[in-house]
Amino acid sequence: MQPMIQARTLAKRFGEVVAVRNISVSVMPGSVYALLGPNGAGKSTTINMLTTLLKPDQGSITINGHDVERESDLVRRVIGVTFQDLVLDRDLTGREALDFAGRLYNIEASKRRARITDLVEMVGLGDAIDRMTGTYSGGMRRRLELARCLMMEPKVLFLDEPTQGLDPQHRALIWDYIRMLKTQQGMTVLLTTHGMDEAEALADVVGIIDHGKMMHEGTPSALIGQLGSDLIRLSGTFTHLHTPEWTSEQWVTSWQASETEIRIGVDIGARRITQVIEFVNQSGNTIEEVSITRPSLGDVFLQATGRALRDER
Amino acid sequence: MYTATHTIWLRHMRKFFRNREELGGLIIQPILWVALFGIGMGRMLPGDGDYVSFMLPGILALTALGSATGGGMMFLDERLRGILREYQVAPIPRMSILLGHILATVSKSFFQIFIVLSVAFVAGARISGDIGNLAMSVVALILFAVGFASIALAVAMRSKSIMGYHGMIFLFNLPMLFASNALYPLENVPTWMRWLAMFNPATWYIEVARPAFAVHTPIMSSLIALTLLCAFVAWSIQIALSRFRAMTS
Repeated sequence: MQPMIQARTLAKRFGEVVAVRNISVSVMPGSVYALLGPNGAGKSTTINMLTTLLKPDQGSITINGHDVERESDLVRRVIGVTFQDLVLDRDLTGREALDFAGRLYNIEASKRRARITDLVEMVGLGDAIDRMTGTYSGGMRRRLELARCLMMEPKVLFLDEPTQGLDPQHRALIWDYIRMLKTQQGMTVLLTTHGMDEAEALADVVGIIDHGKMMHEGTPSALIGQLGSDLIRLSGTFTHLHTPEWTSEQWVTSWQASETEIRIGVDIGARRITQVIEFVNQSGNTIEEVSITRPSLGDVFLQATGRALRDER
Repeated sequence: MYTATHTIWLRHMRKFFRNREELGGLIIQPILWVALFGIGMGRMLPGDGDYVSFMLPGILALTALGSATGGGMMFLDERLRGILREYQVAPIPRMSILLGHILATVSKSFFQIFIVLSVAFVAGARISGDIGNLAMSVVALILFAVGFASIALAVAMRSKSIMGYHGMIFLFNLPMLFASNALYPLENVPTWMRWLAMFNPATWYIEVARPAFAVHTPIMSSLIALTLLCAFVAWSIQIALSRFRAMTS
């Protein structure tokens, strides 16, 4: 099967600032791909290049088998895009916003009406659809945006931070829509997020990017699995620490240490913890807290980038 | 191409007639221009007193320039807020996005021009040319409006802020008219200013438009002026289009 989205070695710089360096992304039809990274990591720049809004300095992109640069119209015909900042016209009603979107895609009037009825039902906007969008809450706007980019029945959806600024109920609602579009309509979705839980909940494949580089890529379970099945965390003061010899042994999957925190991925936490504590204590350090947890995508991110996600929810 | 242009135009017009503030301003503005400029200034000038008819084409040009400024502003607002991206990801020619905006600007401008004309005729302006003069005058006004609507868009495509845009666009407004024969005849101005006026699209427009309203001493053939106006429109649309295409790089 051919990938629906295939981007090779993308790079983009704005003057001195390198926004994206050498990012490759491949998304199979009917799957959800999440680009995960902090603000300013290059997510929006990447999505802008994928959606024909920005020309890459280097690299190539094909969507649905068509080259984004040379066959941009064919690409534009199959993509639906929502943007990070809401782009609704406040002086139009929700229905008009959808109707104008349909007109842009040359959908005839009767089909537009039917499609609007379906979509309004799907995103549950009800009577509010005939109100000016200026009166909408953030959640309603996101739902309308989603409905708008579905007007022309796209094959591929690009959602830039689809749940940014939403309350938990609305986030769950948007997640449900995305899952439904994938399972019921076989839609391919590429979304960006800085929410670990979002990526974990929705994505078949996660790409972690930071400073414009792809740090890690894989299924959420494989990425988490790389860290071992358990994660031992020690906090305290670790000024006299060297990497122990046993980090090369089979049961250790990862080792990461700073002066205040040590994280060790291991096979079975309960069995290895005594050895770990003994080692740290012997070298003359002070342990304040110990915990054993299942690693999360957040830990994967920390491992990959050496820092926690800003604004993590 | 046609559908997309029409859609974008329609969307702007619907917003326009819904926006009472914008609508009110556009209606009152030309009334003030004719009243203050035409009648007030006419009294100060010696002569037969038909200054309103003389400067009517100038006021129409001013109206078109004002609309162009507003059109560019609208585009800049859509660009900065990201609304423009909805058009950019749609499978429509880039030219249709541009034309939709230009047509919306020109439509608003003619809505206003209609009001200016009504007020001016009440204030004593009259048509002195024949039907041919009048037709030429309308064509010239459309060309002038389209040209400056395109230039304002081209400026709005590069501006980083609203302030920056206004700084740039101010250059095209009043100075443009004062460096032409739109508001006063060129007989008494210094030679360098007369030369400047020769290269000014506002002058070309006036050359074609004024004979319909007032006695006019031509400074160039109206056919040449019309040709220059056409070239100006082609050039300005080309600039806007190439800048628009460059926005993706």
